[in-house]
Amino acid sequence: MSFSNIKLILFREIRDQARDRRTLFMVFVLPLLLYPLLGMTFLQVMQFRREKPSQILVVGAGELTSPDGDTGSADAAEAEAPPDASEDDELEPRLPPLVENDRFSRALFVDPEKAKLMTLHFAPTEPRGGARQVPDQLAEARRAVQAGEYDAALYFPADFTDRLQTFRRTLEQRRERGAQAVQDEVPFPQILTTATEKSQIAAVRLNDVGMAWREQVVVSILKARGVPETVIAPFRFEQHDVADSTTYQGVLFWSKILPVLLLIWALTGAFYPAIDLCAGEKERGTLETLLSSPAERSEIVLGKLLTVMLFSMITAVLNLVSVAVTGLLVLQHQPNFGPPPPMAAVWLAIALVPVAALFSALCLALAAFARSSKEGQYYLMPLLMITMPLVVLPMMPGVELNLGNSLIPVTGLVLLLRTVLQGASWEALQFLPVVVGVTLIACLLAIRWAIDQFNSESVLFHASDRLAMGYWLRHLWQDRRPTPNVAAAVFCGVVILMVNFYMNVALKRPEMALKWPETFGDVAQTALVTQLVVILTPALLMTIVLTNSPRQTLLLRRPPWRAVPAAALLAAALHPAVTVLQSLVVQLYPYSDQSEPALRRIQAAINGAPLWQVILVIAVTPAICEELAFRGFILSGFRHLGHKWRAIIYSALFFGLTHMILQQSLIVCLVGTVVGYLAVQSGSLLPGMIYHLIHNTLAVSVGRIPAAWFDRWPAVRAWMNRTEQGLEYSWSMIIAGGLIALLILLWFRRLSCPKSAEEEFQEAIDRGLNPETEYAKMAVQLEQAPPA
Amino acid sequence: MIHVDGLVKHYTDLRHGHVVALGGISFHARPGQIYGLLGPNGAGKTTALRILSTVLRPTAGTVTISGFDVLTQPSQVRHQIGFMSANTAVYDRMTGWEMVEYFGRLHRIPPDELAERMEQLFERLKMNDTRDVLGAKMSTGMKQKVSIARAVVHDPPVLIFDEATAGLDVLVARALLNTVAELRDHGKCIIFSTHIMREAEKLCDRVAIVHRGKILAEGPLEELRDRHHERDLEELFFQLISQHDKAHPPAARGFAAQPAPQRA
Repeated sequence: MSFSNIKLILFREIRDQARDRRTLFMVFVLPLLLYPLLGMTFLQVMQFRREKPSQILVVGAGELTSPDGDTGSADAAEAEAPPDASEDDELEPRLPPLVENDRFSRALFVDPEKAKLMTLHFAPTEPRGGARQVPDQLAEARRAVQAGEYDAALYFPADFTDRLQTFRRTLEQRRERGAQAVQDEVPFPQILTTATEKSQIAAVRLNDVGMAWREQVVVSILKARGVPETVIAPFRFEQHDVADSTTYQGVLFWSKILPVLLLIWALTGAFYPAIDLCAGEKERGTLETLLSSPAERSEIVLGKLLTVMLFSMITAVLNLVSVAVTGLLVLQHQPNFGPPPPMAAVWLAIALVPVAALFSALCLALAAFARSSKEGQYYLMPLLMITMPLVVLPMMPGVELNLGNSLIPVTGLVLLLRTVLQGASWEALQFLPVVVGVTLIACLLAIRWAIDQFNSESVLFHASDRLAMGYWLRHLWQDRRPTPNVAAAVFCGVVILMVNFYMNVALKRPEMALKWPETFGDVAQTALVTQLVVILTPALLMTIVLTNSPRQTLLLRRPPWRAVPAAALLAAALHPAVTVLQSLVVQLYPYSDQSEPALRRIQAAINGAPLWQVILVIAVTPAICEELAFRGFILSGFRHLGHKWRAIIYSALFFGLTHMILQQSLIVCLVGTVVGYLAVQSGSLLPGMIYHLIHNTLAVSVGRIPAAWFDRWPAVRAWMNRTEQGLEYSWSMIIAGGLIALLILLWFRRLSCPKSAEEEFQEAIDRGLNPETEYAKMAVQLEQAPPA
Repeated sequence: MIHVDGLVKHYTDLRHGHVVALGGISFHARPGQIYGLLGPNGAGKTTALRILSTVLRPTAGTVTISGFDVLTQPSQVRHQIGFMSANTAVYDRMTGWEMVEYFGRLHRIPPDELAERMEQLFERLKMNDTRDVLGAKMSTGMKQKVSIARAVVHDPPVLIFDEATAGLDVLVARALLNTVAELRDHGKCIIFSTHIMREAEKLCDRVAIVHRGKILAEGPLEELRDRHHERDLEELFFQLISQHDKAHPPAARGFAAQPAPQRA
């Protein structure tokens, strides 16, 4: 790879983009215009925004209405007592008024002007003394609200006022008599609402008014007895913000919003240039010109990548600056709201480089796949769908920087940035190496993917075939090969994952959102259904339909005889290390509060069942079914990729994902890699099956070693420790096992490892083969499966 | 100079399933010679030439150019060749001068030498009028000249022209053919694919008639005429192809007399 070529390509691409007016506009002009315009619009809209009054139907509040209108202007301070005593023919004090001048009493609002936000409509009532309400008034109110004639209704039962007064009197009497009076219950007023937003707002407003009014009723009762009003609120809690200037609210806001904006704009800024540089070049026919030039594919990709990165970074920076300036101007009058901390600029700039690199590589790889710019545009949505959860996850409340989160690409970076911006640099520093490492690996993988895309003929030159189901199905059937192709392997993996998912959902009982198996019978049923129906059936069906040599696809060959005991020994030797890793993973990502007790119950159920049954269900069945599917069909398909390690890892990823619970998936993935290696090296499924069988058997039986053995045999004590949590392997066992495992794996490495034609081909190229002899061999191999 | 032995190229395509674009073709071309690949559309010419230019990789067979293998030494091969096809366009947002300079520098020609050579080239191809014109604003003839200049700027011993005259008007096509002949006279080894017989008659020292991924006949033009007792090349071509089709009726699937993927 030559740096001067990369530089040459980089400068050409920059010049090319700089001559494109649309790019210039999108990158440089738009951000400078967009946010001031948005800010302006926001301010304008704020001026027009006003709260609309809710339309409220009031039923049966006649008694609670202030008798004449002039009290409407009464001061809030004197409103707590019924201000007029004009009706002194009644000895009883009146209730505080709820309604005055056809509105709720102004005294019920902290800000009396808010009273105007509710327009009241009164249901017709009959004059006082008669049967004041027709019995179906409630039903009528219900209908009116449902029909949307009113936003909400406030309904007082017919005898509400009387009962309230009675209640009051009873209290009075109780005091006089000093005896217990029967508590007379006051019927509840009802607030009727619907699900519309207007109705919900009306309900909130009504509730506030109702509470305020109830308080006044209480106060009036207390007053009548000479109890001071303060008795209902003798003290209050005061809240003081003790944050210093570095952690004022503004910092919290900025530290949440800036990293997310950075990511979104870095992605957007990378996407459009990437489309133009790949799909656009394909479309304009210049890609082949470049490919036939002396520039290597990796040089082309890196040159383009740096260009995309540059534009991604410029877009992000300009947008952030514009947002910050506009945001400050618009929000400067908010209390506790200051500019972002000055160091933010430095941190964001540092973080921008890897973020831009990662997104640029992803965009480039996707864009290389597109046949035209138009097709490229369609890929933005899927890309956003995949990236956004990683960006949004850190925004969720309670998600903080810890080791587990810092291992998630993008998310870890956002959390790290946020922590730094909030001033906790020291805390952030501890996770810096992890986040940097994860981000670097993600970047390298993405770049690798982009280069692979540029090396793939089918990606660069695929014809724009129209999609025709008929052709495709015929193609699947007629062009069967001894082993499935990569697409079939992916398809099989995805089918297993999806069926597994739906099966899990369907098996859950409706009465419990998260139903886990309870007894061993349940466990066995779920496990067997999963193994036989979800995993084995699709793999076998596809083997029959999509390949013409089940034996070759499912690796049903005899392995070198030593490989079988070696695999068994390897499983036993690695088991301690795997167990330790498993507990480490659980420490990193603890089980959720829901799943932990459930998993414990499952474990208990398994521990309680007879060992032979457990081994049959948990060890033998998966060793057969999962091996046939993942190391048989799927691995064979992936081997057409031409790299055996990639095939092993991809099949292990599907294997891990099938296990649904993240904490298990990680370990299963690792075990899958080992088993995949055994299958590839020995060319047979059997060693992997044996490994799987022994591994699972150990997992379910180690915990059953009777306590008596520890006392009787020192060897057992050297092997295992008994702890509070149960049995644990001793460290000497873990290390010794690891070393033995390493030796066995080295032995497997020496096995002949039957290769796929693509792998031979790739290896030959990597070695710089001697064309005369090896070409001929390969040609023969590839010709072995010519078209029918 | 160019050695193609048993070149095979397979690919998979939804409609046609497994397609054998090239079913083992062999030919050799020497310096100072124009080697013509004649064939109808979809014969496999473009695929073969894309393999020669290392843009595609062969499924089997060997191709060496100036002794370098296309599969294991692709970058050396690319230094040896100038490739020009209907699919190698010029950049829209670059001027003629910039475009040729860019490829010259990718070939690592020292700047002084490059400037000198480009002056000569622009003079010889009479393209000083395209010097500062952006690709988007050039006429087809101007673009064609820029493409030639781009292909020969590093003075490669081997030149590959894949249907280079497709879509050109008579004048431009004629100028191009003259340039190709001139390059031959400078001792270049030239591969020239076309489906226009007149061009082949005029230009080629040796031809191979390619049809459905196979070479049906190969040799100097005169020799072919004598061998098949047919003076008219077009008749000869037609005769060979219909004979082959009669002997091997095209299968519905499995083999496609179809274009290499993504033909412009």
